[in-house]
Amino acid sequence: MLKVGLIGAGFIGNLHANDWQAVKGAKLVTVADINSDKAKKLACKFNLRWTDNGDSVVDDNGIDIVDVCLPTMLHKEYVLKAAKNKKHVFCEKPIARNLADAGSMVQACKKANVKLMIGHVVRFFHEFVKIKEQIEGGAVGRVGVVRTSRCVGFPRFSPESTAWYSDFDKSGGVALDLIAHDFDWLRWCFGEVERVYGRGLAHKLKDHIDYALVTLRFKNGVIAHTEGSWAEPGGFKTAVEIAGDKGLIDFKSDEAKPIHAWMKQPEGGNSAPETAAPTLTSPYTLELQEFVNCIVENSSPNPSPEDSMMSLKVALAALESIKTGEVIKL
Amino acid sequence: MIKIGILSFAHMHVWSYATCLKKLGAQIVGVYDDDKMRGKKGAGQFQAKYFADYKKLLSTDIQAVVVGSENSRHKELTVAAAQAGKHVLCEKPMATSIKDAREMIRACEANNVKLQIAFPCRYSPAARCVKQMLADNKLGKILAIKGTNHGRMPGGWFVEKGKSGGGAVIDHTVHVTDLMRWMLGKEVKRVYAEIDTRFHKLKIDDCAMITMDFDGGIFATLDPSWSRPNKSYPFWGDVTMKFIGTNGTLDLDLFNQKTTLYNEEQLKAAWTYWGDNIDFGLVKSFLDSIADNTPSPVSGYDGLKALEVAVAAYRSAKLKKPVEVPFK
Repeated sequence: MLKVGLIGAGFIGNLHANDWQAVKGAKLVTVADINSDKAKKLACKFNLRWTDNGDSVVDDNGIDIVDVCLPTMLHKEYVLKAAKNKKHVFCEKPIARNLADAGSMVQACKKANVKLMIGHVVRFFHEFVKIKEQIEGGAVGRVGVVRTSRCVGFPRFSPESTAWYSDFDKSGGVALDLIAHDFDWLRWCFGEVERVYGRGLAHKLKDHIDYALVTLRFKNGVIAHTEGSWAEPGGFKTAVEIAGDKGLIDFKSDEAKPIHAWMKQPEGGNSAPETAAPTLTSPYTLELQEFVNCIVENSSPNPSPEDSMMSLKVALAALESIKTGEVIKL
Repeated sequence: MIKIGILSFAHMHVWSYATCLKKLGAQIVGVYDDDKMRGKKGAGQFQAKYFADYKKLLSTDIQAVVVGSENSRHKELTVAAAQAGKHVLCEKPMATSIKDAREMIRACEANNVKLQIAFPCRYSPAARCVKQMLADNKLGKILAIKGTNHGRMPGGWFVEKGKSGGGAVIDHTVHVTDLMRWMLGKEVKRVYAEIDTRFHKLKIDDCAMITMDFDGGIFATLDPSWSRPNKSYPFWGDVTMKFIGTNGTLDLDLFNQKTTLYNEEQLKAAWTYWGDNIDFGLVKSFLDSIADNTPSPVSGYDGLKALEVAVAAYRSAKLKKPVEVPFK
């Protein structure tokens, strides 16, 4: 049984803690957060040890896997420390804020002969897996134009998280933090990107709003349009459209929900529906299971560290295009 | 009763305009069409006389014409109508080149006739409602727009470059570009486009992704692709716009007032639009502007500005870099 130590008990750390419970062959045993209340609360929920010092997790001889759920700018520090101590590392996306950091992380893990997997979890979301299967099965023929959309309100998980998400130099805004998911999934489906053109509001992060529209031209000719929004009062939603010469796949998350519930309001007014689209297995459990399996079988994870580097490259090109107004060739 | 001439039924929208004209009490006096069969059919349907020569139709006492020919002939027919002193309602895109569009505007101005471009989406109650919501500042300051004008591949002269001037881009860029200009009251200053032929075996573009920068920093994208499967898609396409404001977001799906039909013989679902006929508002505004002698509600300049974006898109895709508009 591989022992897992989690660093970072924020939004994604809490999700992971829950999803580690269903992973076979590994057990989450300890959690660290600089905010000891957060660490304690999560430890209590899942019967874990806790600490307010991430270093004590990477130094712990009893730990085999470090799960880095920290803000992007801290990824490198903890991945390097974990690799140095010969621990396998699962690290949240995006891999890093810049290519140099990402490269040093990938190199360090390779040198230490430990596995590194980045949490591009969209590769494990049921609808995205199904759409890829359909494309590969020839359901739409040759793909021409692809549209993806990922929209949510500005991240407000905690005052601390809002602070670092608002700092463009740290988070990179929607292009790096949100639609990096779609860039990665699109690369998984259509291969490498030739050029990128994007528009966005990156400089308006401090007003707690960001929005980007990015066009990718793939080497195989596919034209992809990606929308990323932290400007959505209406809650989280995604959409995918794949147009080919033989058909069209259309997915909208807000229309693909088996549950809509409307509750009477105490004052008699109308309410927005509570909606749910539950699945038996969480995509996060599936990605963590993939990582554990790769350690056990000594195989390369999906996505590979190199994949995550390439997806970062696309996101950085989008940011560069947004900044300069020019077309960025990869 | 106003007397109207139809200059070609080549564009399928013209059948709808003619129906609206009749409903509004206009008299369709004559129909010119270089396709005799089509022209005679139209003339018969709207109780008009068929003319094999448009100059003869223009020498009658009609007051106005609808130009519904292939795009490349819009200029010739519009200029001739203007010189004959007839007001013009011209199908979109206004022309196949900026030069032609300018010539049309000049001819209509010089002869003191109205030139209206057929952008019926402006007459959608949903579009009008959104324009008002923006004017009322409901969304705060507008930051970005995401638009689509998807369609099926229309075939026929639409895919012959000499007649259409281009494929999906010239066909489907102008409607939403016009809506953006009209709603924002701002002009496009820069265009970037990826353009290709990926859905059909054609020598003309059938898909694209266009990015526009407006005055004042608003950015927008527009997908004008003929990406709706011709045989299986339940509708002809869409006109959608998503607005991002400092105070919220808004989704407009212009033709989303529809029913869904599942029929055993059609073997596909079909959407039926039950919202208002937007062509009716377009045609009525044309007749009103003539009757009241008011400026054209959708002017030749509006047509030119929308066309400019389509032309810039082609230029951008060729150069693989953004292109500034208007052209020097």
